[in-house]
This record gives sequence, structure tokens and C-alpha cells, in this order.
Amino acid sequence: MQHAIDTYRRLIAVRIRSQLQYRVSALLDIVAMAIVTAVEFGALALVFQRFESIAGWTLGEVAFLYGIVTAAFGTMDLIFGGFDPDTFGPMVQRGTLDQLLLKPVNITLQVLGSAFLLRRFGKIAQGIVIFCIALSMTNVDWTLAKVVYLPVVFVSQVVFFGGLFIIGATSTFWTVQRVEAINIFTYGGSELMSYPMHVYAKWMRRFFTYIVPMVFLNYYPALYFLGKPDPLNGPAYAPFLAPIAGFGMLAAALGFWRFGLKHYTSTGT
Amino acid sequence: MRLFYELIKTSFRQQLTYRTANLAGLATNFFFGLLRAAILIALYGTAQEVAGLSLQGAVTYTGLTQAVIAFLSFFGWWEVMDSVYSGDISSDLLKPMRYYTFWLAKDLGRALASFLVRGVTIMAAYALIFDITFPKSAGHWLAVGVSLVLSTMISFSWRFLVNLSAFWTPDARGVGRFAFILSWFMSGFLMPLRFFPDWFVRLCHLTPFPATVNTVVEVYLGVLTGPEMAQALGLQMLWFLILLTTCQFTLRAGVRKLVIQGG
Repeated sequence: MQHAIDTYRRLIAVRIRSQLQYRVSALLDIVAMAIVTAVEFGALALVFQRFESIAGWTLGEVAFLYGIVTAAFGTMDLIFGGFDPDTFGPMVQRGTLDQLLLKPVNITLQVLGSAFLLRRFGKIAQGIVIFCIALSMTNVDWTLAKVVYLPVVFVSQVVFFGGLFIIGATSTFWTVQRVEAINIFTYGGSELMSYPMHVYAKWMRRFFTYIVPMVFLNYYPALYFLGKPDPLNGPAYAPFLAPIAGFGMLAAALGFWRFGLKHYTSTGT
Repeated sequence: MRLFYELIKTSFRQQLTYRTANLAGLATNFFFGLLRAAILIALYGTAQEVAGLSLQGAVTYTGLTQAVIAFLSFFGWWEVMDSVYSGDISSDLLKPMRYYTFWLAKDLGRALASFLVRGVTIMAAYALIFDITFPKSAGHWLAVGVSLVLSTMISFSWRFLVNLSAFWTPDARGVGRFAFILSWFMSGFLMPLRFFPDWFVRLCHLTPFPATVNTVVEVYLGVLTGPEMAQALGLQMLWFLILLTTCQFTLRAGVRKLVIQGG
């Protein structure tokens, strides 16, 4: 275990050092990423001047959802970037994955260490800023339980999206081409989770409750933090299912990843 | 002219061959459309009309904006930039055609294919799920058509211009990313421009961005009629000409620099 951590740290250090060779470029990238998020949220904030609320939620409350999921997705993208189907797909296509497989180091560790894009910090920082705005616009009645649970929710979202990335990456073993449909769940999922779930149609809510359990990762925890009633009439323990949904997804994804590796036949290029 | 037409055709066919990519892009655009429609419906709540836009119009708006993403290469387009960096530009400059016109033809072919495969399909899927509006007369359809053609020319010209920054900086992608983000906000793609405060709308109208998405949407929805519509179309034409001229000047300056560096 110690050895694995050490290897991972070294791989990441190399990634960081190489990006710092182009300091200005790296900084610009971080700023650009921050601006994307700021602009998206800014558009919503400006529009809120015309509308008082969205299905009973104020701007601050939506910002609460938005901030957490943005920071979590950014963190996931930082850590699990190697599994990003958009970069992993070409690795399978060009056969560079085979080179990694030949090295006597755990393959999962190597893929994790193959990308660590500093520009993701832009998104993370922006998520935190939006979350702070949310806190200033809402009156969260903080209890010890809430303070403890907040980081749990955050980590659950990170591993949940990480699991989705791994599933997307593994699928490319069979499709070779990158599977863009997974974007619906990753980027689409983070967009979906940025708004209160009860604004969506029933069939969509059902899908994102029973098939891909996104509803438990952000919406239900937010109801708990903000002390809002549940219009969907879920069970009282629903806000606390986030870690089960998150780590469940990660475990399933890792299982699929191992299965995929076992059946991996190179493209031969 | 013949060459121009052939280039459009080749690029059109090329775009159609990316079947799985087209399908996946279609699914993603449509899914995001569903989310955006749900959000706007929830924002409207019990209101039937906000800032001159009916609820039905707002839902149609989300369909239209998702439908033009591929058509206008809205999320990024780096082909010219890549050819500057790879050096392919040197052979393209030798072609018996203006460099701008060469890329315009290629982009029109791509846009046309995307319009048919992605745009029309998304609107058709929207029509199945939502009660959306359609232009009411032949004249109205014609206006939408004109507006769409102009929007793709404007969009192409400014994307071309952004790409030309590759002549001056090795990190043109960074510049490009900023430019694209700006266009999402100021073109009325993220939210209808009408919803924004007046000062912001006025700021947007100092840029060519509203002439891409916002004008198409407002012409389609019939928010703009008669002289207002004619004015909007005229403004599109004007922006196209301004950008076209800017492209030519920038390209000339860039090529001079390229020759000096390339020896």
C-alpha cells in the first residue's frame, strides 16, 4: 500500500512538473476553466432577476446544489482524468494502453497517474466560490451532524462521477471508438444535479433514482442541509444514501474495469 | 465557383461518415435540451409570458439552441489553428483559391450536414415531446432560412478569426477557449437575451454574438416581425461584412508573419 501511494505520488509529481514548464499557459487554462463555470452560473443569476424562484427554490438554494456538484466534478476530473473516455479512448485506439500494461506497476494506478490537469483547479475554485455565495444567501442551520456529513456528500459525488468515467473508459475496450454517450451521464449528470430534481419530468426522475441514483447524491442531501421539505415524498433516510450511491457506483465500475482488462484484446496497432 | 461547390460537397459527405459520433452528439444535445426545457418551465412557474417570450416560445428556444450547436460548431472549432501549427497551411495557401473561401466552403459543407443530421432531428424529436411552435407562413420560413445562412457565415468568420490568433501565439487554444465561452453567454445561447437586464443586453449588441443564435431564435419564434425583423437580418448582413473584412486583413498580416518565420 505504501509502495502504491509512493508510485502514485511520483506519477502525479511528473504530471505537475511538466505542466509547470508552461506557467503562463497553465495559469490561463485555470482561469479559463473558472470563467466557464462563472459564466454559466452568472447567466442563471442574471436571469433570476426576472424570476423569483425556480419551483420554490431561491437562487441561493440552487447555488448550494450548483456549488457542491461543480467542485465535486472538478475534483473528480482532476483525480480520475486518466479515465476520461475522451483521452482513454485514443489510448486504446493507438495501443498506448498496451505499453502501460507491459510495465510492472498496477494498471489502475498508472491510468490514474496518467493525467492530472492543473486547469481543473479552476472549476474546483469556482465551485467553492459559488458554494460560499450559496452559504451567504441561505440560512443553513449548521449542526455537528451536518458539518460531518458535508464532506461525506462531497466525496460520494467525486467517486460517483469517477465510477462513471471508469465505466466509460472500460467500454472503449469493446467499442475502440470513444463512447460519447457516456457524456450524458457525466457532464449531463452534473448539469442535472445542479438543479432541484423535482423540476424534471417523472420518467426522468425515476430513471435517475432507480437506474442511475443521482437523486441521492446532491438533491436529497441538500434538502437535509437546507432544511427543506421533500416534495417527492421519499423515505426519511433518503438524504443519507449519498455514500451508498457514490461508493456503490465506484465499486461496480471497478468490477467492470477488472472484467474489461481480463478480456482486453489489443487493437494490434 | 465550381471548386467552391465541390469542396462543400466533399466536406458534407465527410461529416456524414461520422455516424456514431453524430448519433452520440445528437443524444447528448437532446438530453441537455430536456434538462434546459425543464429548468425554463420551472422558472416560468405559473407565468405564461416573460419579457415578451411565451412559455411555449421558451421551450422552443431550448430546442432551437440545442439544434444549432453542431451547425455553428458552438463548442469549439480548431481546424485552421491546427493547420497553422502542423504546417498544412503552407500547401493550403498554394491552392487556387482564397484561404478564407477554402475554409468557408469546407465549413458550409460541415454545417449543412450537421443541420440536417443534428438540427432537424432534434427539432423533430422536440416536436414529439413538447408543444413547440413553427413558423407560420412561407415568408416566415424564408426569413428563418436567410437568418440561418447568415448566422453560419457570421459564426464561421469569427471562428476563423479566433483561429488566426495561432499566427501570433503558440497558445491560441487558450485564447480560443475564452472566445467561445464569451459567445455562449453573449449570443443568447445559455439563456434568452431578453431575460437579461437591459445594460447587459446592450453590451451584447456591441458584439456579433447576438447575430448568431439570438437573431435566429427571435426570427423563428416570430418575436421579431416586419421592419424589426428586416432590421435584424440587415444587422446580420452587416456583421458578416465587418467580420469578413477583419478576417481578410488579419489573414494578410498573419501570412506575412508566417512567411518571415517559415523562411
